[in-house]
Amino acid sequence: MYMGREFLAIFYIFFWVVRIRGCIRRGRQPLLRGPEWFFNVHVQPDFYTGAGKKILHRYWMRMLIPFVLDIPITMAIFLPRYLEYAPWLLIAQAVWIHVNHVYSVDKAEREARPNAVAEAEQPVASVASSLTPRRLRDYTNPRVEWALALANIVALAWLLRYYLADPQHQNWRVVFGIPVFYLYVQVGMLFVKRVALAWRTPVPQAQAADYMEAREETRKYYLQMCDWFRAAAAAGILFWAIVIRTSPAGFDRLMRIWFAVWFLISVVGTVLVEIKRQQLVKVSLRARPVKMPDLLQQSEIARWPLCYQPSAPMLILKGARGYSMNLANTLAHLGAAYLAGLAMLFALLRMGH
Amino acid sequence: MPPEFIVDALEVYSVYIHRTMFLTIATDDPRPIYQQVADGIKELIARGKLEQGAPLPPVRQLAADLGVNLNTIAIAYRELQKDGLIVIKHGSGSVVASSTSTERSQDELLRPLRTALTELVLAGLSSAKILSMVLRELRTVGKGGK
Repeated sequence: MYMGREFLAIFYIFFWVVRIRGCIRRGRQPLLRGPEWFFNVHVQPDFYTGAGKKILHRYWMRMLIPFVLDIPITMAIFLPRYLEYAPWLLIAQAVWIHVNHVYSVDKAEREARPNAVAEAEQPVASVASSLTPRRLRDYTNPRVEWALALANIVALAWLLRYYLADPQHQNWRVVFGIPVFYLYVQVGMLFVKRVALAWRTPVPQAQAADYMEAREETRKYYLQMCDWFRAAAAAGILFWAIVIRTSPAGFDRLMRIWFAVWFLISVVGTVLVEIKRQQLVKVSLRARPVKMPDLLQQSEIARWPLCYQPSAPMLILKGARGYSMNLANTLAHLGAAYLAGLAMLFALLRMGH
Repeated sequence: MPPEFIVDALEVYSVYIHRTMFLTIATDDPRPIYQQVADGIKELIARGKLEQGAPLPPVRQLAADLGVNLNTIAIAYRELQKDGLIVIKHGSGSVVASSTSTERSQDELLRPLRTALTELVLAGLSSAKILSMVLRELRTVGKGGK
């Protein structure tokens, strides 16, 4: 994949700046609900002067782990100037930061539970659920889908015509490699949308409307993000169909413009995402956290980190030791198939290089 | 002003929020969960909140949201299907059946009423009290009736 080296370095520096902001945001998260709360655990008044001080400190330290691990990897990539690996490092870091965050929040809440207010630890008696089906088509804008489909088809048809015009002198991997990868990314985003739709929404009866609003707003945010990523991948295919026909000098110039535009979009997008996140926090703070009853006995059936429970409808179960992925869930099979397909795609594209 | 397709998408989501109907289950309710689910849906149909042809969430979605076993919801849906209240279409989900598709005998329909009345009598309530309770409930439930 071609990328201007200077732009890679700029992107990477920008990513670090954004990460610092994210780290501060995650650091404040335990205290968002005020001094009586630690994340969603209603703690005793002396929590932050007693046991809570260490728990909070440990949580903050865990938030810094990705930074500590990144520094040697970043040096190993940037000092010998293996910059082509930088995009993969960015993707790996984004995944790693989120996994570390989810794990750290869960661990910190578990540690804080012995110091919780006893009454708050009683699960609510009534659980409510929406009777409205959550279907992909209800969250899909047909005009957006048509636009994306049209962009993909036109670009691929254009590339095919370009390749067929002189197949002897064209390497099909160069012509179709990037578009096929971007198409696969779009399929992956559709899979993520399906996971977001399946994300369960248990709500306590007492605050059903507040909870539903918070969950739906968050779901909507993730689904919109998926659509933006799909649009970006479709734009990438279109751009490739244009840029591949230009002269080497034109190619370099177009690539620079392309990266400059994407850098600007990334800056504006980051600001908008930050604003949206703050709005989501406001909405979710309206719903007072409660403990939901464990009707499925998840703490007993879900072994960390993997389990096989065909009768449990969820992909992720909350076991006694932490989150557990349910391998009996269709989404787990689809996810595994997607990753296997991605590995095969890379192997195919690299073959003969 | 955001682009039109974003406005459209937001409208879709806001419609989703506003038309949301809730089903509730309680851990302190002596009825099994599948019964609570079936009764809850029956009540919403009786009140006219769930109209004929209204789609119901898939078994997996409802089970996940309530945090219960898949079979629990499957049994509840089968019971509703047996009573002629919903139609399960494999591959396209379940919908509320038309009222004419309920073909149960009067005796069959009266059976749960008899059981409920027996319990009220055994609880020591007077006939007048029971009658007023029944009328009150009928007024609530019958709002969606014809």
